[in-house]
Amino acid sequence: MAASPGAQDIIQELDGLSVAFGDEIRPLVTEQEIRAAQARYLGKKGRASDLMKALGRLPAADRPAVGEAANRAKSSIESLVSARLSALADSALASDLARSVDVSLPGRGAGLGALHPLTRVRQEVEEIFLGLGFEVRTGPWIETEWHNFDALNTPADHPARDMQDTFFVEGGRILRSHTSPVQVRTMLAGPPPIKIIAPGNVFRRDDDATHTPMFPQVEGLYVDRDVSFADLKGTLLHFVRRFFGGDLSIRLRPSFFPFTEPSAEVDAGCFVCSGTGKKPSGEGCRLCKGSGWIEIGGSGMVHPNVFRAVGYDPTQVSGFAFGMGLSRMAMLKYGVDDLRSFYENDVRFLKQFP
Amino acid sequence: MKLSFNWLKELVTLPAGVGPREVADRLSLSGLEIESIEPRGQDISGVRVAEVRGLRPHPGSDKLRIVRLSLGGAVEEEVVCGAPNVPEPGGRVAWAPPGATLPGGMTLGRKEIRGFDSPGMICSEKELGIGEGADGILILSSDVPIGADLVATLGLADFVFEVNVTPNRSDALSHRGIAREVAALFGTTWKWPDPVRLPTSDGIETPFPVEVRDLEACPRYQATVVRGVRVGPSPLWLRLRLAACGVRSISNLVDVTNYVMLETGHPLHAFDLAKISAPIVVRRAAAGEVLRTLDGVDRVLDSTDIVIADKQAPIALAGVMGGADSEVTGDTTDVLLEAATFDPRGIRKTAKRLGLHSEASHRFERGVDPSTVPQAGARAAALLAELGGGTVASESTDVYPVPVVPKRVTLSLRKLHRLAGFEIEATRVISTLGALGIVSSVADDGIIATVPTFRPDISIEEDLIEEIMRMIGLDQVPARLPSGGKAPAQHPESLPDRARDTLAALGMYEVVTWAFVPRQALAVLGPGALATGIAVKNPISADYEVMRTSLLPGLVDALKRNLARGAKDVALFEVGPVVHPLLDDVDRHHEQRTIAGGILTGARSGWLKSAEAVDFFDAKRIGTELLRVLGVSSAELDFQTGSSPGFLHPGISAEIRLRTRANNRGSDAASEADAQSAAAATLGFLGQLHPGIARRMGIEVPAFYFEIEMDRLEGRSVVVRAHAVPRFPAATRDLSFWIDATVPAAEQERAFLSGREPLLREISILEDFRDPRFVADGRKGMLWSLTYRADERTLTDVEVDAAHSRIVAALQGAFPIQIR
Repeated sequence: MAASPGAQDIIQELDGLSVAFGDEIRPLVTEQEIRAAQARYLGKKGRASDLMKALGRLPAADRPAVGEAANRAKSSIESLVSARLSALADSALASDLARSVDVSLPGRGAGLGALHPLTRVRQEVEEIFLGLGFEVRTGPWIETEWHNFDALNTPADHPARDMQDTFFVEGGRILRSHTSPVQVRTMLAGPPPIKIIAPGNVFRRDDDATHTPMFPQVEGLYVDRDVSFADLKGTLLHFVRRFFGGDLSIRLRPSFFPFTEPSAEVDAGCFVCSGTGKKPSGEGCRLCKGSGWIEIGGSGMVHPNVFRAVGYDPTQVSGFAFGMGLSRMAMLKYGVDDLRSFYENDVRFLKQFP
Repeated sequence: MKLSFNWLKELVTLPAGVGPREVADRLSLSGLEIESIEPRGQDISGVRVAEVRGLRPHPGSDKLRIVRLSLGGAVEEEVVCGAPNVPEPGGRVAWAPPGATLPGGMTLGRKEIRGFDSPGMICSEKELGIGEGADGILILSSDVPIGADLVATLGLADFVFEVNVTPNRSDALSHRGIAREVAALFGTTWKWPDPVRLPTSDGIETPFPVEVRDLEACPRYQATVVRGVRVGPSPLWLRLRLAACGVRSISNLVDVTNYVMLETGHPLHAFDLAKISAPIVVRRAAAGEVLRTLDGVDRVLDSTDIVIADKQAPIALAGVMGGADSEVTGDTTDVLLEAATFDPRGIRKTAKRLGLHSEASHRFERGVDPSTVPQAGARAAALLAELGGGTVASESTDVYPVPVVPKRVTLSLRKLHRLAGFEIEATRVISTLGALGIVSSVADDGIIATVPTFRPDISIEEDLIEEIMRMIGLDQVPARLPSGGKAPAQHPESLPDRARDTLAALGMYEVVTWAFVPRQALAVLGPGALATGIAVKNPISADYEVMRTSLLPGLVDALKRNLARGAKDVALFEVGPVVHPLLDDVDRHHEQRTIAGGILTGARSGWLKSAEAVDFFDAKRIGTELLRVLGVSSAELDFQTGSSPGFLHPGISAEIRLRTRANNRGSDAASEADAQSAAAATLGFLGQLHPGIARRMGIEVPAFYFEIEMDRLEGRSVVVRAHAVPRFPAATRDLSFWIDATVPAAEQERAFLSGREPLLREISILEDFRDPRFVADGRKGMLWSLTYRADERTLTDVEVDAAHSRIVAALQGAFPIQIR
């Protein structure tokens, strides 16, 4: 039984909807436009709904066929939509993937700054001694002559006092010429054992290519019941190997400091030529001037008069002390030729120490 | 001290094959550091002793002459010479013939000089590198063999050691002393220079009278009269020795005293006998007494100075400098030769006070051995008699009533072992000390040592231990890691180092600036405490005059240098001490505070967009981030205007304050304790450098500065109490309104918080809008974002809206605003 002519018209129109829809969305490129078009066809007020309004007037027998046509139209429009949307997504992804950046352009945003090389080198030195159970102590820049000299077996009428040309400040004080007053203050503050290093700036009246009037130093002090020169040597050897790396040796040269007895200068094996004094080419090593050794500081066994000054009994305790210039260590470690670079604070120099 | 290796070799026997390098190394490794070895005359070759055979004018020059020379035999050569002092035929000169090499590597050839072909040249002392004499050629004495190689004959080839003699080793300040040390090191022998005895004198005169009034000042005084001296130039060998040691030759008379000092370590002095009247009196000066010293300066003396006086007046400042009125001159014929020792401390005081440091005072300050005074005096008298043609006319006067006694020092072997860290047997100890002239023997559990008088530095057992160890060699000491100690305490630099790490991570570069600054650099920070620093009394220059009271001058200086070198975007910081005088507190004297400070200028670092200039808020970000890392959250901070120092821009700066209870209390409760805690609440400052002051400091671009008082944060630490991440979502409402431009954001925030709305969890500012094209005069537009959340459920819109309108009402209650 054929449908009534009215029903057939509707079925025909419904079947034509998907073709018209396909034509309509072909030029559309956004999901929004496509969804809008979909609503114009399938929405409450869309064309399909318009056509279906006539359904009530059709004979009951025709209704299933029209309903079927409506479902057909709806599903083919929906599949057109999803096909179209997925094609759009594919092409969007394709064009997204077609983008590229110039990876050689620099990264964006504020970069890191840097610690000053003298800070870095101090931290490196501290780390090594902290690992050996030393603690870090600091003290004031402005000192009394007693703490800086007299307590350190360097009386005013002794020529040893001239070994360090001292700055005097108002009020009868001086600028410390070494960090040894920190040792004195630490010993005065409590009984042995004492195992400290004392980093900090010190001041001497020198100003030329190889001296600055202020420079950083680190000193060490170990006082206990039976501290020996062998302990000093072992400690310095450990330090040199950790700091410069490798299997370097050390050399202790007898010397004189008023606050130690015996006293010795400390040489480290040259880390550039491994102590041979020669480059692989056979030429003399530039850093150690062919000697195989680099002087890094002074050391010795604490003088009994120093113990007496701080109220320790020199028959009961012994100790070693050492000191070294951190700017020299930084120059050696970082290959800095000009001591002045540390105090010019040129950012182009500072940037080299990330 | 300079040491001639040739001279040294005269005084000590060296094992076969031992050269200057080996000697230097052994000395360096046992405590007398050889800082350098300078070869002298080593690069001279082929220079010969030639006899002058004839002399004729140069045909082409008035000044030049042609000298006929021979190396002996019949062969003669004619050499052009411009010197005025060419000797008569028979005289001897130094001829550098073609092929000869002079110092500096110049090799001679034949050279045409004004039309005459000259084979090489006749040399001056300067050309030979052996002296200063350049105004004439070197004339050789008649005992130098003709034809001989000059270098070999004169012993010109030498090595000069620069010896770093530490202040304790007064015994090593001479060739003799170092010879003794070398002998000990190599196990050989050394000897006194000849002669060590006075040449026989007829004793025609009674010894010159000497009266020592202060034995502490002058333990020994020896005077010897030498008559009939002809003052003239010293012989070449002596001049060579002095030149090697860097001492200028003056006359045979003066040179002998210097020579004997370099040789024996005993400083000597020669008086013109005709200018003094007996007796010699050695005493302390009377305060205010005046002596004109050799340099022509009238010295006002102090009662601690030691003087040599004659019958009338002081004639020398003992051990430091001679007097002008008794000085030897070219006319001097009779000499009083002084050999003595003086109190080291007295000499040091005088030399220091008058700024007169000499080779003599250097040795006296360190201690000269009284027991060898006669040897030195005799040596000098004998040399003077020999070189000056004089005679020793008297027995020496020798005032030495209390001879110095060698010290006896005991050494416990246990102590030696404990300090050295390894065992050394008694026999080895005794033989080691013996090599140094220290006689010792076993006693009880140790050693008793008799220390020779030339080693005043050895007085306790530690000194002996040092001698033993340095002779055995420190390379023999085993290396051991000590295991003792105690648990390390808090690292005092941990807070400053944390600050440094943070500031570097925030893009700033750490600088290290001088502790002292020019006075003017502090003056611009004034008036106030910052302008007054502790002055250095002996600064190197005006740049290092006053201890810094602020990091600002150093940072400004570093910034300026970078800007001058072409940098534009610069961010620098320093963490370090500043020093403030405590003028009313003599004992404490000063206060040292640790400050973290930074300065920044230029553009914020960005890329591919127009650079934005840094401003106040960049400095504020850094300051607050730093404080956060150091344990102060931004909720604890107040940024207060109107109280920042004068070097900051008054409108673009803030005092950084810690919120404290004292701050919240009423002003009527303010007491001194409150005032103190209020001061303690100041953590620092930040802001733009005052443009006027910046210009005075040499900075033309806007620069932003901050400083944080690290000591105020002492003991604070970041105590982390972690909160769980919220499980329920938050809702955000933006709030936009017009408000009076003078109401700070912080006060608006306080209004939001005043009702303690429990659902309000976050407040953030999105906009502070002041564009005059859109905003009424005196107003500003604010845009805040407020976040609401509950911990245990998801909020409904109704709840959020209700909470938000309570907040808006609170704000409206506090300020007249118009919601946008």
